[in-house]
Amino acid sequence: MLLMFALSPFLVLGGGALLLMLAEVFSRRPSGLAIGTTIVFITSGAFSVALWLYGIEFLPVGILSPWILVDKFTLFFNVLLCLGGALASLLAGGYLVEYKLNRGEFYSILLFATFGGMMLASAGDFLTLFLGLETMSLGAYALTAFRRASPRSAEGALKYFLLGSFAAAIMLYGIALVYGATGSTDLARVGAAFSHGVVTSHPMALIGLVLIVIGLLFKVSAVPFHMWTPDAYEGAPTPATAYMAVVVKSAAFAMMLRVLLTSFGDAESMSWSAGWPPALAAIAVLTMTVANLIAGRQDSVKRMLAYSSIAHAGYLLVGVVVALRSKEQAAAGVIFYLATYTVSTIGAFGALILLGSYGKEAVSYDDLAGVGKRHPAIAMAFSLFLFSLAGVPPTAGFFGKWFIFRAAMDSGFYWLTILAFINSVIGAYYYLRVLVFMYMREPQPGAAIAVPMQSRHVKAALLLSAVFVLALGLAPTCTLDAAIAAATTFRM
Amino acid sequence: MLSTYAPMFMIIAIATLIAGLFYTFATVLGPKNPTPEKMMPFECGSDSVGSRGVKLSVKFYLTAILFVVFDIEAVFVYPWAIQFRQLGWFGLASMIGFLSVVAIALVYVWRKGALEWES
Repeated sequence: MLLMFALSPFLVLGGGALLLMLAEVFSRRPSGLAIGTTIVFITSGAFSVALWLYGIEFLPVGILSPWILVDKFTLFFNVLLCLGGALASLLAGGYLVEYKLNRGEFYSILLFATFGGMMLASAGDFLTLFLGLETMSLGAYALTAFRRASPRSAEGALKYFLLGSFAAAIMLYGIALVYGATGSTDLARVGAAFSHGVVTSHPMALIGLVLIVIGLLFKVSAVPFHMWTPDAYEGAPTPATAYMAVVVKSAAFAMMLRVLLTSFGDAESMSWSAGWPPALAAIAVLTMTVANLIAGRQDSVKRMLAYSSIAHAGYLLVGVVVALRSKEQAAAGVIFYLATYTVSTIGAFGALILLGSYGKEAVSYDDLAGVGKRHPAIAMAFSLFLFSLAGVPPTAGFFGKWFIFRAAMDSGFYWLTILAFINSVIGAYYYLRVLVFMYMREPQPGAAIAVPMQSRHVKAALLLSAVFVLALGLAPTCTLDAAIAAATTFRM
Repeated sequence: MLSTYAPMFMIIAIATLIAGLFYTFATVLGPKNPTPEKMMPFECGSDSVGSRGVKLSVKFYLTAILFVVFDIEAVFVYPWAIQFRQLGWFGLASMIGFLSVVAIALVYVWRKGALEWES
């Protein structure tokens, strides 16, 4: 019974997804599905919180090890992924109805994909990790292709699917090589083999490590593995874009932290002279710079937000590099950043959804001209989320960046911190450009004007995200303490 | 360790060499006398009719995908049935869980009308 309790977040999510699938085919009106999905997400998140408060040390989670590790790291990510999923399904509740895409499969896929994401965050073995990765990715491919009538949607989904399965194959090959060298797929045992110098006796372990890191970097869409991101994010229906930018990316970073710090966290693999941190540092700089420079040149706000999510992956990678000095500090910084990033990004995409309606979508910067006067409330919410993404105090994004940059300074990466700081200043340019268009421009005479949709779902999602952004910005202590507690999983 | 594979690499090299030599000699030395008939695609000796792309109904794909789903189910059930006694209640409970998920998928597919050939 206690074991069922330990697995309850998974059981609720999986059972809820199956129930919604049945509800969809037996009811002719799929109107309540969005609320139902949100309730399932919230229930699963609540069970995770209950587990945290109950204390996992009192639960028989040992027999699940190493397949599923139920620790504080897992529970924090369960809550984070469920929060992202709940907000995304609220956005979908408004968007899908407005654009006449309202088919219940969207919600089931959302739940199944999040189930995969939670499995990814909790996997302690390469096999369950791969299973979770594929469950999540297949859902994301289907969500991208959900606008069936749109060629862009199909194009984005096909690119995402082909490159994604290729990256999965590369990662699987890496796992096979590491298994060949160490004789185990258990993350902890692989880590033990690496710390006993398996690389010197089996050079293929090193190749395996490189291939696995490539697979991880693809999933978090770091440059130069980012090519699929703008097309997939632009083609997907906007709630699915928000979902991928938030939930898929968070789960991928959870997997990255767990794999790098548990399996490849020995002194040699993490050294500056012979390990993965210098490679990740170079990729972090490349990711931030390339994404920020391209994002500034976009005409489509949705595409700009896609590049912005790549740039944020760069800042997060800076946080991962800090593991060189302190695994715990690195994990805590990345986890907290992901929490702030989740609420800000969902909010920004939500505001973009709310500003358009069927046939009168808000896509480009020009569509946003004069929105500040016509719809001051939405413009204000949008500005709040963009300030948070840019990292302006007192919003959530400021503290996210601050903890990562401070951790990088503490570890002695002054040049990396300076580069990240310069990049966040460049980033502010294109976030503030949206504000310039909203408040200081008037629409061209005769141009089509985007009309906001009327949806309580989307408004509720925006309100919730705004509350979270302000709460994390004004009182970050509670969440930060939780993030630090979650990071103790990686204590040596 | 690599020396174990040396004979394999040698076979690959020699095979490539021989095949390459034959191909090169045939291309360089062989007589060439192309006529329009010789250059046409060969289709049972008769002239080709129609275009290359044939549109298949999506029903075939659907049937194939559903077949794979239930085929995989059989793959999992079979070893469980062989080891039924050893796996005991734990195996039975796991298999009931698995089968009920697949059963729900079947209900879904049925209600969606994916099993109707004529519609």
